[in-house]
Amino acid sequence: MGRLSCKVVAFGAWGLGFQDWPGLQGLLRGGELVMGAISGPKPDIIPANERRRAPLPVRLAVESSWQATQAAGLDPKDLSCVFVSGIGDTQLTDYMCKMLASDNKQLSPTKFHNSVHNAAAGYWTISTGCMKAANSVAGFGESVPLALLEAIVQCVHENTPVLITFYDSPSSMILEGLLKNDQSFSVSMVIVPLDNEKEGKVMSAKVDTHAVAWPEIDLPANLRHYYATNPAARILPLLDRFVSNSDLGAEAFSLSLPLSAESSITLTVI
Amino acid sequence: MNIRLIDCESTTAAGINMHALREAIKDQRSGLRPNDYPGADIDTWIGRIPEVDDLDLGIWQSRNNALAALGFQQGTIARTLSEQVKRFSARRVGIVMGSSTSSIDRTELAYTDLTADGLLKPQYQQANIHNPHSPSLFVAHYTGVTGPAMTINTACSSSAKVFATAARWLYSDIVDAVLVGGVDTLCLSVLHGFDSLQLLSPQACRPFDQHRDGINLGEACGYAVLMRATDVEQDAGKDTGIAFSGYGESSDAYHMSHPHPEGLGAKLAMEQALRMAKLVPEDIGYINLHGTSSQANDLIEGRLIASIFPRSTQCSSTKGWMGHTLGAAGITEALIAVEALRNNLIPGSMNLSELDERLDFSIQAGNQQCELRHVMSNSFGFGGNNCCLAFSKVAV
Repeated sequence: MGRLSCKVVAFGAWGLGFQDWPGLQGLLRGGELVMGAISGPKPDIIPANERRRAPLPVRLAVESSWQATQAAGLDPKDLSCVFVSGIGDTQLTDYMCKMLASDNKQLSPTKFHNSVHNAAAGYWTISTGCMKAANSVAGFGESVPLALLEAIVQCVHENTPVLITFYDSPSSMILEGLLKNDQSFSVSMVIVPLDNEKEGKVMSAKVDTHAVAWPEIDLPANLRHYYATNPAARILPLLDRFVSNSDLGAEAFSLSLPLSAESSITLTVI
Repeated sequence: MNIRLIDCESTTAAGINMHALREAIKDQRSGLRPNDYPGADIDTWIGRIPEVDDLDLGIWQSRNNALAALGFQQGTIARTLSEQVKRFSARRVGIVMGSSTSSIDRTELAYTDLTADGLLKPQYQQANIHNPHSPSLFVAHYTGVTGPAMTINTACSSSAKVFATAARWLYSDIVDAVLVGGVDTLCLSVLHGFDSLQLLSPQACRPFDQHRDGINLGEACGYAVLMRATDVEQDAGKDTGIAFSGYGESSDAYHMSHPHPEGLGAKLAMEQALRMAKLVPEDIGYINLHGTSSQANDLIEGRLIASIFPRSTQCSSTKGWMGHTLGAAGITEALIAVEALRNNLIPGSMNLSELDERLDFSIQAGNQQCELRHVMSNSFGFGGNNCCLAFSKVAV
């Protein structure tokens, strides 16, 4: 296959130890954690009556998405979007499964409609009035590279700016033995087609038919735990290269990430 | 678009495979039955597939994966896929699965049988199952496909959107063939969830009927193998002459569980699919509607159809055969539209006896024979997520 190329225009970020993209960049440069509320962000863009009902993963995703579109200077209405979470909303899964294992199986209708995996995409498009294509994908451990692939392919093939949001919140207690994540993490990126007037670094993607391992990167101590446990935080190797690349000058870099048993995606940023 | 559908299979309550579904449609025989799903004491009808109960996949077990396995055992889909794997290699074949429940049925079961400490028992310690990507992880394992495998979870549009993603993968030359699929099983979450929204009908559903009173839930699995037309043409014997000609994807930006009152998002998706297929409404011979049999969906979708399409476009909802199969509905109904295209037989809108008096478009209860060239299928999901697909006959 040929290369698929787009421009990376902006980022957004929210985690327990950082509240925006400058904060996460600071951590990538070895800075100290700046602790946020354990209850997570409360993005103003979600209308107040909806915000009260919005679960943590949704608020994480909407917060970093809003930051990224604001930083890009683009109207969210003009962006297709791809949302991805590796483990989904396990707190809601926990609520539903406990209720359904009990004698009183009367579920809350709001909690039920919030339990769909595309809740974040739904709240985002409702909050911003975006009527473009909204995708919500899942890839478990490979969520980050699969969502990057989906978004870049869409950006190039549909010739449209795309918002990509990677988010995962802490596992419920019962599932935590299997899905080890215990921290909130969300990162968003805005990518645009090459001929778009927005400025950004050119990123191209190529899919290869061989396996690669997850990169063993030398992350600052404050970020290692995220990378080891949170599926969405597997975007950190790419972000780390973006930050160190810009700190060192305009040197290009390539990074390969696993997609499946025998395929991988190589991202080249110049 | 220049994408071909070279094989497909469908497993629903109306028929365990495409052949059985074809017969059920011809005979107007529904697979719906009064609710007998264990543990769900709700007065409704369901589209259950009893054969799923007989499968046990060991460490891969969930009802959803069992249905994915059962579906893959039908017809010629496994053989068709293995031919493409031989031709291109397992690494150059992709998987895109759509689902809304993934394997939550297994998580539900695990919670009824926790240890004294409230933890998962060993037989339920299945990390690959208790996450939303479970359908693709399992199908990759089961089929031996080793190329990219992704799951789309956009509620009831999930397995319609798999076609759009697969077409983009093929155009971008990421893979040479894609197994697209959709699978969703009945489980307590959806039965009690839709009950909490007061959307379930206590009888067999009657889409677009004046007296409709809600939906029936069903379970289903569907697969299709998609390829670039240029690759299919080198192998003319395999060409079914069915092109995937267009798709539209949009959002309502309105409400999590209620469709946009004027169907604006749905309209965008249909217009986009027509544009991509280079067609006008007059070209479309048949539309398989989303037609859930809920008050809101059918009124909004019916009015929208009347505003866009001429009377020559025949429409129906086929949910009277197998119920609303949620994340599997997109592919199930796309394949029913493809079947109509192949056989020039338009399925009726089962259980329709009196069209909603506020609606005026071409829909009837009985099947009809009609020469078809282009068909469409609508899928709308929670979160206001819409997808419309178009398929066309091409000369072989």
